Amino acid sequence: MSIERKFQIAAYVLFIAVIFAAPVFGDEFWLNRISKYLVYGMLGVAIALTWGYAGILNLGQGLFFGLGAYMLAMSLKLSSPTSLQQGSDKPVPDFMLWNAEPGAPTQLCCINKGSFLWLPFQSQSVGLVLGIVLPVVIAGALGMLVFRKRISGVFVSIITLALVLLVRLIMVDAQPVTNGFNGLTDLGWLTIGGIEFDPYSRATYYLCAVCLSLTLIGARLIVETRAGMILQAIRDDQVRARYLGFDVSLYQVFFFVISAGIAGVAGMLYVIVAEFASPTFMDLSFSVTMVVWAAVGGRSSLLGACIGAILINMIEAEVSETEALVEAWKAIIGLIFVLVVLFMPRGLGGLAHDVLRQFIRRLRPGSVSSSLQQQSGAL
Amino acid sequence: MLDILFIGLSLGSILLLVALGLAITYGAMGVINMAHGEMVMIGAYVAVLSGIWLRASLLLAIPLAFIVTALLGLLIERVVVRRLYGRLLDTLLATWGIAILLQQAVRLEFGLSFLGIHVEGLGAGLQNVAVPSYLQGTFRLASADINAYRTFIIVITAVLTLATWFILYRTAAGMQVRAIIRNPKMAAACGIDVKRINAMTFAFGSGLAGVAGVMMSGFKTVFPDMGTTMVVDGFMVVVTGGVGSLFGTILSSGLLGEINALVAIGTNDILARAVVFGVVILVILVKPSGLFSFKGR
Repeated sequence: MSIERKFQIAAYVLFIAVIFAAPVFGDEFWLNRISKYLVYGMLGVAIALTWGYAGILNLGQGLFFGLGAYMLAMSLKLSSPTSLQQGSDKPVPDFMLWNAEPGAPTQLCCINKGSFLWLPFQSQSVGLVLGIVLPVVIAGALGMLVFRKRISGVFVSIITLALVLLVRLIMVDAQPVTNGFNGLTDLGWLTIGGIEFDPYSRATYYLCAVCLSLTLIGARLIVETRAGMILQAIRDDQVRARYLGFDVSLYQVFFFVISAGIAGVAGMLYVIVAEFASPTFMDLSFSVTMVVWAAVGGRSSLLGACIGAILINMIEAEVSETEALVEAWKAIIGLIFVLVVLFMPRGLGGLAHDVLRQFIRRLRPGSVSSSLQQQSGAL
Repeated sequence: MLDILFIGLSLGSILLLVALGLAITYGAMGVINMAHGEMVMIGAYVAVLSGIWLRASLLLAIPLAFIVTALLGLLIERVVVRRLYGRLLDTLLATWGIAILLQQAVRLEFGLSFLGIHVEGLGAGLQNVAVPSYLQGTFRLASADINAYRTFIIVITAVLTLATWFILYRTAAGMQVRAIIRNPKMAAACGIDVKRINAMTFAFGSGLAGVAGVMMSGFKTVFPDMGTTMVVDGFMVVVTGGVGSLFGTILSSGLLGEINALVAIGTNDILARAVVFGVVILVILVKPSGLFSFKGR
């Protein structure tokens, strides 16, 4: 094991230890905020996976995040107290009642034309399952269409971007079913096996921490498999990989789907923590913001992208305490982004990597070159 | 029916005005300029400011906006874009950062709001521009009510498109631009100053966006975030039409504009936009090089 790899493992262990130790340092309110950032960290990993390792810049990751969020939010909406106290024994979302036509039956099946779609969501497990299945299925179908046709580069970005905006418009337009611009608010708590996930509790924080850790470790392990290596080969030279006999689109679809699954889970966690789902999840700016986090953290470093997401949001929260700086902060983010793309294209992760190399070289002259020789021998 | 088609035509011409600049910069330079929408926004603010401070009419704002945004485009090219040639997706990201900067610059009144100074016409609020009386109202043409301002937009777009065509196909500089679209390295080998031409192209494309902004300000409210949807629409047009093809951009903007208008009459504006996005996705899936592309070398 090379010394660099030891440092990398140490970084992962340290990061996971820190997020699990965090509850010692703050109150419930602070923990709730940090939970959100951990969810953003998962999005950073999802972006780094497709962008850094597959060379696919997905400008519509918000689609998968939003779908995951809406699926679980629909279930939680039906289990919220306001949905249950409508005078009938079956829960009905409050916004459907407010907008119901006079004389319409106050039943989920037929209060308006689309409300039957909500019927399966009376069970929370349906929402939980669909929150990951729907993003994965849609990503799979889209990936098959796009990558089988050998569409690449900026065209993938534009298709994903158009798709997320398309779905967002449909969600807004289907106001009777989705509550349109207002989104789904006033949600109940998720209950799994007797544990209620109160958003301001440690249980919820640990749920997010566990999910993020599993995502990080799982993503890291999967990029080190043979499939992950082939994926990176495809990123570097698609045509060559194809001529070497690899089914290029299969690998691309596979990692695209994994990234979508991560985003779907992140969407569900966000709903648990923030207690709402809104069409803003599918705004263009949110999807690009995820890319900004990953770029600042390091697009080809899973941990870097994750830390980038968490760090930027923590600083933003600090800065936003001062009202005059809220708008200025956005300008600063824009400036940072330009500077990072211009002068630090590998982000914080790349910077850490370079510093580490220098450090090792100082520490033990010759050790880097010998490990490099080992690598080239393995190739 | 005729009036619906006419609305579609005017929507298409706005799209074309925005997309024209993008088509040139993307086609010629391989730069995805996400700040293009902000050029539209700045152009609109030039109309607002010149109306308030110079008491100038909308017509005078057109050349003013062209000059301001072209200079701004030149600056952006010199400072940022120039360093990113050949890194297509990075240009997208860097110009997104610039777009945020420009939005915040207008919202914070170029930082003056920190000093407690308020410039009328800037800031986070909504702005409106008065349209001259001779461009208001409607006139009848072949049993259809035709909106005068929409006609004005179509005419201006036609003039600018013709001017762009003339520059690209009838001047020496235009020939150099076309050479760069086909093959930048070969163009450079033939003695074309690619850097200079690229800078000029970028400035010209930005200027066109500025004029589009003046046109927009006449019938839409002006606010700092208005550019974001513009640049998305513009890209949809460029990609649908085929990268580097002026003709394709013209036809696809007309096509998408008409689809938007026709669907909007049958249903509503939101679904119309959704259908347009759907059409664009289909076009890219079926023919990724666009409807009217030519082969680059």
